[in-house]
Amino acid sequence: MQKILIIVIVLCTKLVDWRIKNMSVAVEAADVVKVFGEIRALDGLSFTVETGEIFGLIGPNGAGKTTALRVVSTLLLPTAGSVNVFGLDVVDRASNVRQIITYLPEEAGAYRNLSGWEYLEFMARFSAKSKDESRGMIKEAAEITGLGERLKDKTKGYSKGMKRRLLVARALMNKPRLSVLDEPTSGLDVLHAYHVRDIIKRYVKEHDVTVLLSSHNMLEVEHLCDRVALLNKGKIVALGNPQELKEKYESANLEEVFAKVVKLA
Amino acid sequence: MKELKELIRDPKILLGMIVVPLIMFPVLGGVMSYSVQSAQERAQRATLLVVNNDEGNWSDFLINFLNVSARISVESNIVLDNDTAMELLAEYNSTQLLEIPMGFGENMIEHVNVNPNVTAAVKFYGVFVGVSIFENMGSPIDRFVYDFNRLLAPDVLKAEKSTIIKGEIISGVDPATLSSILFSQTIALPITIMILLTYSIQIAATSVAMEKEEKTLETLLTLPMDRLSILAGKLSGSIFVAGVGALAYMIGYNYMLGAVTSAIPAEAGIDLAALGLVPSLLGYLLLGISLFVALLSALALAVILSAFAEDVRGAQSLVGFIYPLIFLPSFALMYVDIGTLPFAFKIVLYAIPFSHPTIASRAVIMGDYLTAAFGIVYVSAFTIGVMYAASRFFATEKILTAKLKFKGLRRRRKTPVEEF
Repeated sequence: MQKILIIVIVLCTKLVDWRIKNMSVAVEAADVVKVFGEIRALDGLSFTVETGEIFGLIGPNGAGKTTALRVVSTLLLPTAGSVNVFGLDVVDRASNVRQIITYLPEEAGAYRNLSGWEYLEFMARFSAKSKDESRGMIKEAAEITGLGERLKDKTKGYSKGMKRRLLVARALMNKPRLSVLDEPTSGLDVLHAYHVRDIIKRYVKEHDVTVLLSSHNMLEVEHLCDRVALLNKGKIVALGNPQELKEKYESANLEEVFAKVVKLA
Repeated sequence: MKELKELIRDPKILLGMIVVPLIMFPVLGGVMSYSVQSAQERAQRATLLVVNNDEGNWSDFLINFLNVSARISVESNIVLDNDTAMELLAEYNSTQLLEIPMGFGENMIEHVNVNPNVTAAVKFYGVFVGVSIFENMGSPIDRFVYDFNRLLAPDVLKAEKSTIIKGEIISGVDPATLSSILFSQTIALPITIMILLTYSIQIAATSVAMEKEEKTLETLLTLPMDRLSILAGKLSGSIFVAGVGALAYMIGYNYMLGAVTSAIPAEAGIDLAALGLVPSLLGYLLLGISLFVALLSALALAVILSAFAEDVRGAQSLVGFIYPLIFLPSFALMYVDIGTLPFAFKIVLYAIPFSHPTIASRAVIMGDYLTAAFGIVYVSAFTIGVMYAASRFFATEKILTAKLKFKGLRRRRKTPVEEF
């Protein structure tokens, strides 16, 4: 009886894994509202992220990008509406969602008294099923960071750019189903930003990772994202492939698109 | 000037470091003043029970002498043993007994008429009721002996003192000396508790606030980990560090106490363990559990409070509100027996979970395990309540968005606290 029960549980888990792997929709946000006191940070936000794509939320400060990413990452509860990640509701099944995502906050830090290596070891423990898997993750993350021997130093001695590379590596090293990255290249110089963008693209292509990111930098998003949503005052004002949007609004780049859309709105 | 403005304008610092001590210490002073007064009143009202087994002229003279300055009751011709002494004391609702032994009169006559080296002895028995600095101040025996000898001749009368501990007469042990020895020892525990709790609270509060200050909390909360596990991790980490700190402190304190007491001549070789005034194994166990649950409750409170702070400084100011709850019972119970306090104060002290380890330490010495057990049950219930609230708090978005807004409260207007 006990054996049958274990087999049923294992089969159910496999079925859920299979379902998640074969879902075409990674994120589905429908009419999401988030209210803080008197302010509506999100005001009926709806969008869909397809599996295996890089989806960008762009907009000015205060547009609601970070709030949207925090709701998807189960940190904030939507006041109204719903968000599903690979079919899992972020409110009712928050703990299941956390098992398949990673989240990189805009102003994230690392534990200052741990070395970069120890930080990666600590983080790998949450998703690795064995020591070998953990070692593999850390090795890969070490390559992403490009920090070399500096990984042995405590993170309190890292520059902002070094810390950011460590955190990006942490967010990608376990090859999550969905990686939510808030301003992934914030604080990085041109070369390191280019390196990080390249890694994000490689992970999506090679490891079937879906990425939902936000950025102020519309030019960066233009080069990185398969599709973008332009946010203003908690609402999506335009959505589509960067090329299509530029053609539709007869603009040279996404910045121009945004300016025109906001004026029209 | 900038620093001054920064500090004075921070309402948390103002409340935690200035207003709270201004309230706490006067309350403490009030409690202690009340205790001194009530101890004095009790001493004045106390009955000294005199058992006269001599019945000569000199014993009548002594009784009349005592009667001038003390409230006494007299019984005659009773052979005193453990049971009869306790029965008599209970009958007269007294804690002090003076026996005038057979031969007292003869010794007095011999001293006065023949040999001044002969002294007449009386036997004094004091019931040991517990450790409290003010409780033994009312013991009249030394004053009586001094006054009597001044009246007649030096060294004519001496008192052989005994202590009744847990219903048993222990000869040769002065209750006042015993109480002062025990006092110096038991004062260590409230101080240890105070330091242990304060350290742990600081560590727990810093540990949560650091996550906010260093911007690691959001990442932590999105990891595939139960929120209760995060809370448990914070608490166990704090307990471990605080435990090591407390151990180091206790070892150091013990050495200091050892150095101090070795300088004092041994008081008639009083062995507390032989007198049954050292907690038993069960007593130590209850004391340990009591301390542990009190520690847990303090940590859980600190974690909740610090979640409202934005940074480490804010968290440390906020946990300042817990300190009066630690300092008040520790200072009060260091000097005062809880049983002698007015009802309202008793309720307040029993309600504060951090009083219970000190109360338990006194109770287990006297073999009162029920009081210690009651404290454990109460503090456990309190801790479970706080832990439940803390885990609920960690499970919601409030852990990220909650912030104590003093200005907002004053203006009675809600202001948004979230960056978006």
